Parts: sequence; structure tokens; C-alpha cells
Amino acid sequence: MQQPPVLELTNLRKTIKGKDIVKGINLTLYPSQIFGFLGPNGAGKTTTIRMIVGLIKPTEGSVKICGYSVAHEFVKALSNVGCIIESPDMYQYLTGMENLLQFAAMNKAISQQRIKDVIEMVGLQHRVNDKVSTYSLGMRQRLGIAQAIISKPKLLILDEPTNGLDPAGITEFRNLIRKLAYEEGMTVFVSSHILLEIQQMCDIVSIIKQGSVVKTANIQDLLQDNDKIEWQLSDPETAISLLREHWNIQASQLKKNTISANIGPHPLAKLNEFLITEGLALTYCSATGNTLEDLFLDLTVGDEIV
Amino acid sequence: MFSLIENEVIKMISKKRLLFVIAILVALISVFAYGQHHASERIKTQLSQRMGISATTDWHKIADQQLIELKNRLDSPYRDEKDKSALRVRIEQLQYNLDNDINPLEQSAAKFTTKFMEQSIFLFLPLLIIMLASDMVSGESSSGTIKLLLVRNVPRWKVLLSKFLTLIMLEIIVLFFAFVLSEIISGLFFGFGGWNAPVATGFKLVAGKLDTSSVLNVPQWRYTLMVYSLAFFVSFVVGSISFMISVLVRSTAASIGIIMSTLVAGNFISYFLSDWKITRYMFMVNLRLTDYLSGSFQPIEGMTLLFSILVLLGWASASIIISFVYFTKKDILV
Amino acid sequence: MFKKSMWYSILVIAFVGFVILANGFYQAILVTTQANPQPTSESAPLESTTDLTPSSKNPNTIQMLILGDSVAKGTGDEKSKGFSGYLSEYLKNNTSKEIIADNVGIDGLESTGLLEQLQSRRLEQQLTHTDIVLVSIGGNDIRSILTLNSFDKENEFKVRLDRYLSNLKLTFQELRKSNPNSTIIFLGLYNPYEKVTNLEDSQLLNSWNFNTQQLVETDGKAIFIPTYDLFKYNTGRFIAQDGLHPNSAGYQAISNRISRSLEMIIAGL
Repeated sequence: MQQPPVLELTNLRKTIKGKDIVKGINLTLYPSQIFGFLGPNGAGKTTTIRMIVGLIKPTEGSVKICGYSVAHEFVKALSNVGCIIESPDMYQYLTGMENLLQFAAMNKAISQQRIKDVIEMVGLQHRVNDKVSTYSLGMRQRLGIAQAIISKPKLLILDEPTNGLDPAGITEFRNLIRKLAYEEGMTVFVSSHILLEIQQMCDIVSIIKQGSVVKTANIQDLLQDNDKIEWQLSDPETAISLLREHWNIQASQLKKNTISANIGPHPLAKLNEFLITEGLALTYCSATGNTLEDLFLDLTVGDEIV
Repeated sequence: MFSLIENEVIKMISKKRLLFVIAILVALISVFAYGQHHASERIKTQLSQRMGISATTDWHKIADQQLIELKNRLDSPYRDEKDKSALRVRIEQLQYNLDNDINPLEQSAAKFTTKFMEQSIFLFLPLLIIMLASDMVSGESSSGTIKLLLVRNVPRWKVLLSKFLTLIMLEIIVLFFAFVLSEIISGLFFGFGGWNAPVATGFKLVAGKLDTSSVLNVPQWRYTLMVYSLAFFVSFVVGSISFMISVLVRSTAASIGIIMSTLVAGNFISYFLSDWKITRYMFMVNLRLTDYLSGSFQPIEGMTLLFSILVLLGWASASIIISFVYFTKKDILV
Repeated sequence: MFKKSMWYSILVIAFVGFVILANGFYQAILVTTQANPQPTSESAPLESTTDLTPSSKNPNTIQMLILGDSVAKGTGDEKSKGFSGYLSEYLKNNTSKEIIADNVGIDGLESTGLLEQLQSRRLEQQLTHTDIVLVSIGGNDIRSILTLNSFDKENEFKVRLDRYLSNLKLTFQELRKSNPNSTIIFLGLYNPYEKVTNLEDSQLLNSWNFNTQQLVETDGKAIFIPTYDLFKYNTGRFIAQDGLHPNSAGYQAISNRISRSLEMIIAGL
């Protein structure tokens, strides 16, 4: 983490027609991080991303990419970025290859070999000479990723990247992102309104709501902080009281034989051992993993009505 | 920059819009050439009926006679210089026709090619240019691809400049095809050639009247060149204006609609409001630049080729400035 | 690859085209703004086909001014002599006098045009010094009526005749203002389309000639020379290739008539 930051947002604000769309976002990302930008639709994710890549001028605040200000050193800053914004709009009347050549032509450093590599990386080699208008949404998404990474950017920004991908495609995509981040050292900025996607892919997550970031944290911390466990066992009442007395854990009964609790920092194995030695018949135990979702819902939906 | 222009041109080729424009040219030129052919046949029969002569065979004698008379008139010491240069020009033309055995009543591919552009310059040519120009920016806005262009490590003004230069190239290509196609198609009807025939030009406006004192003959090819050059200038101006609208408006259909209705309204304006002085500063009424060459313009005090060119140049540069300022500043929300 | 080669051809065409068009644009501006371009060198030096003697006032010379339309000008004469040629030939052969003629006839001139020409005072100098004025006008005023259908023809004819007569009246006033003493010779109209003309048209033409003659007679020193009779059965002989103007023989025939009428007047000059 001693490397210089790839992306720095300082008090980023945007007001459109008197409405505050983005209300002061601060963010710093370092190389090889996969960052998840999580928020419901209309929270200001896309506006923030547009400000990062210079499509929209911030009302206030600044964006720095690899130390270059987007406002003042646009070309240098944008040399380090590849992105898909909202949807992978490509030239429908060109083939996939021609599309890539268009973008390659805008950056002298891109070789023919690199184009080939990228096509293989996203798995488009069979359809690359067909017109984009014949592509499925998933294929367009792949092409979108191809054009985003073609210039080997230090910062890859993906806005809702898994839209239209089938489950196999999503897995493949996730692996690709990991590879880019950990092997090629890219910093990946993924925005999504789908929690699971972020949870499975990212190292760091920021949750944005109504234009402000409500929480930024390491995803592992978030998950561990709130690890929710479900036990199916013989005597729920006894278990609840035992957990309260010995571990200071507030458990609650869900169904007839099921209790659930946030175990916090306590190791699950120790707890299970404890319950069994206390003579309870433990039939099933699972980490529901819905803690982040709870958090997400809490943080975002919580006071929407207010 | 160069590769950016290449990108734009490749897009244009792939979009088939240019092909469409060329197809329209082929269709229209064919129809016009056939119509001209038909009309000139009719004139010949009319002439022979009315005068009892055959225009195709007897034109030599008539021309001979005219020539002698013109020379007589020229020699009159009482004729003022003004009339004389017009006479000289007429004599040169007749002499050329006689020397080269060219019936002045006959069409030629060269004449047609020139006439076609003279007739197209104020409406048809601008429409073709509009079809190309209106899509240049708004086409990318409506398809969302503009985002892809603007997040590259290329400043916005360069992106726009490459589009603008591409437009200028395409204007030349359209003129090139208009020229080549009308030469070929009309050549099939009227025969190729006629490029050295003298054409009168150099009319001026002095004190609200057509002044023929500086009239001179130029070879047809030079005249045609001047006509096409003025057409290029008109394309440039109309192109710049529709380019600006294309920058300002997100949908291609809207931008075509706006500039087209402006253009058509211009024709009404010059017809109904010709007394109103301010109309002469509108770009639409200044598009008929070739009329200044052929001397067929309506003499309006203060309107000269230079005036029209300056007015048009004013519009074009304003459009370009607005385009660039707006484009480099605007937020892309699509 | 195809698109690539298309791009290169477009690039080349556009570049070459731009250079050519820029040059043409410059020429276009030049040609319309240039002060006085030299006539292009291709035009062969124009040789005068008729000899015009310098106009010096001499008791043995008669100054003549020929005014009006293409007939006055001499259009159609394959020998291109016109009235001035035949009249001076005649005088040379039959009298001691010499004629110096100025011809300012204009193809297609109508009575309105002639009046404007006189009102513009451009001919003032010639007019004041001339002894004889030869006028041919009106043919173009009436000619276009003949193509109308019979109903319109009647009305249009009246309108044209009225306008023509009032123009003619003013024309005579203008002529007399500049030169009260000259003799004015006024040519009547002939019918070049004699073979294809119906009775109605002939009547119109005669009515035109009649009205003209009456008006000419109101001027004390003017003479109306009819040509209708001369051409009636001679169109084949007297009409030129263009089917409208007199040919050399036609001009000569009219000139002969004028000469006879002028003999005594000329002798008195």
C-alpha cells in the first residue's frame, strides 16, 4: 500500500439543475485493488464514474488518476483509464474487430498482437469479424471489456459490467477481472446494484446512497464483522441462554429448531465445539452470508421513507 | 489526428450514408440528363416549325450572319465601351462555335455538368451535405458511442476537429462524384466534350445595375471549375452549420429537420421578403453564388459575390466556434 | 482491406480536390471583382468588315442616324451592308452627295426601349448633327401577339397598340427636341410569316401600320415608308435564313424605296 494511489477523488460534487446528484465523495484506490461501488439505481454511481472519466465536469472537487488531474491534464490522466459506462455502446455497423481497431487507432501504443490477445482474453475470437449488430448482449459486454482493457490501463472502470451475461459468463468475467487485477496490476473499479456480484468479486466496497458514500470498508472485514450463523439443533432455548451466558452472543430463534446469531469475532469452530460439549444435538450449521445484504438494505433502504 | 480522421472516414463508409448520397446523385443526374435531352429535342422541333428551318443543319448560316452583325456593331465609333466588351464576348463565342463546328443549341456534357451544379447549389447540394453532416456528432450521441470516443486519451477538441475535417473531405467527395457522375451520365446523352468552349463571365453590379463592361470569356473547364469551387464553399458553409446543429442536438432526425426547414424557409424568405434589408444577411439567401458568375442574379444593391462569401464565411465561422466551445464544455449525459 | 483502400482513395481525392477547388475559388473571386480584365488572347483581333469614314462635316456629306430594332440594324443581310450600305451606294451612283450613317439599331428593341434610349440622351450628339433619321420599330412589339389564341389576341393587340402609339408619340417629341429640322423616315412593318398567316393576323398588322402611319403624318417632316406590299408576295425572295429578317435583296428593295422618296430632299440638303 506504499505505492502511489491510482485514483483519488476529493470532495467530488455534482449539481444538475439545482439537484445535488453527488454530494462530496472522497475515495482513494491503490494498484491491484478491486473496488466495488455499490448502490441502488439512481444513487449517483454513474454520475460519479462520468466525472472520473471527464464526461461530466464536477461542480466541485477534483479527480486525480495516477496523480494527473482529469480537469487539467485530461490526456495524461485518461491515458491510464479504460472503461465501460452504463452500457457497452459500440458501432453497430462495424464488426467487432473494426470497433477495436477504431479504439486502437486512438492510441499509438497498441500493437496488432495486443488486439489479438485481448480478443482471446474475452473469448470473442470466433465472432470478431461479425457486425456488432448481430451480437448478443453478452457478446457486446465482452467486446466492451475488450475495448476497455486494450490499452493496458492502470485503472479499469466497469459500470454494471455483468448486465446480460449468463451465469457461466459471470464466473468467467469474475476470473478475468481477478486476473487483470492480481496479474496485470490493474485497479478495477466496478459499480453495481447487485450485492452478490460485489461480494464475490471485490476487495473493497463503498456503499453509496443518494449521492453520498455511507460506508467504505474491506469486504472481508464487513463479512466478518457481521458473520451470521444459523444452527439447527435440538434445544434452541438452552442454546440461546448458553450462548448469552458464555459468549455474550445475542441469538434468536428463527424456526422450530433453528437459531441464528451474529458471532462477531468469535471463531465458529470454537462455538460449535462448545455447543456439542454442552450436550446439544447439532444437526446443521451454516453461515448465511446475508450480513452484507442486511447492511446494504439497512444502509440504503433504511431511511428512504423518511 | 490522421488516424482519427481515418476512423471517421471508415465509420462513414461503413454506415453506407455516403453510398446513399451517391445513389441519390446517380438517380437524379440520370433523370435530369434525360429531361435535358428531351427538352433540347423539343426546342429543335419547335424552332424548325416556327422558322421553317432546321436548327440542326442551318445554324451555321444564322451564326455567320449574327457574327457579321455583331462585328459591325462593335466597329461603330459611337458604341460605348460597356456594350463593347459584351459584344466581344458574344463574338468570341460565336466564332468558337463556328470554328469548332459546335451547334450552340446542342447540349454538351460539359454544359450539363456545370448547369447541374448551378441548379443544385442552393438546395439539392446542401441537402446532400446535410445528410452527411447532421449525423456526424448527433449520430454518436444517440447511439451512445460518443462516450467511448471521449474517454480516450484524446482531448475533445481533437475528436471534434477530426470529425470536422472528415466532413470537409466528404464534401469534396460528394462534389467529385457529382462531377464525375454528371459528366459520365450526360456524356452518354450528349457526347463527351465541350470543355474548351468559351463561357461568358465576369458580370458586375454597378449602382444596382448589371455591368457588363468587364465581361470576358473563359473556357468551359475553367468556368466549371469556378462553379464547383463555389459549390464547395457553399457545402463548407452548410456543412459547418449543420455540424453545429448536430453538436447541439442529440438526435440525428431533429438536426436534419432543423437545418432542412431553415434552408427551405430561406427560399421563401428570399421570395417574399426580398425588400427587407436584413434578409440579405441570412445564409440561405446567399447560397446562389454561381449566379454571380453567370450574371443571372437579380441585381440587389449591395449584394456581390464578395458580400455573399463574407456573409457565408461569417455564418460558418460562428458555427464552428459555437460547435467547438459547446462540445468541449458540455456534460455528456447519454 | 477494402475499406482501407477506400480510405486512401478518399484521402487522395479529397486532398487533390481541395487544392483544385481552392484555386478555383480564388479564380471565381478574382473574375467577379477584377476591374477590367483583358479580353482573352484567344480572341482573334477583330477586323472591321465595313469601312466607316470619319464623320467630318462637309457640305457634300449627309449625316444619317439609323435607329430602332434589328431591321434598322441590318440583321439578316448576308452582305452585312444594311440600309447605310445600300443607301450610300445609291447616292454615290446617282448624286454627288455622300452619306455617313450611324447605326445604333439593337436586336429585339421594342418601342419602350427606343424611347428609353432617346430619353437617356446618349444619342444627343449624333441626333443634333444628323440630317436624316431612319427609324424602324414596332416589329417586336407586335410579333409575340401572333402566337396567342384569337380571344386573347384581340385584347392584347389593343393594349399593345395603345402602348406602342403613346411610346411613338413621345419618341417623336424626343427626336424633335434634339433636332427639329431633320427628316424622319419611318419604316412600316412587313409580314415575314406571310405564307402561314391567316386573315385575322393580316388585319391586325394592317391596322397597326395604319395607325402608325397616321401618327407619323402628324409630324411635319416625317415620311412613312410602307414595306408590307413589297414583301407580300416576295417573302421567298426577300426574307433571310432566319425566317424573320430581310435578306440582302430585301434590304436593297426597301433602300430603293427610301432613296426614291428621298431624292428631292437630299438634293435640297
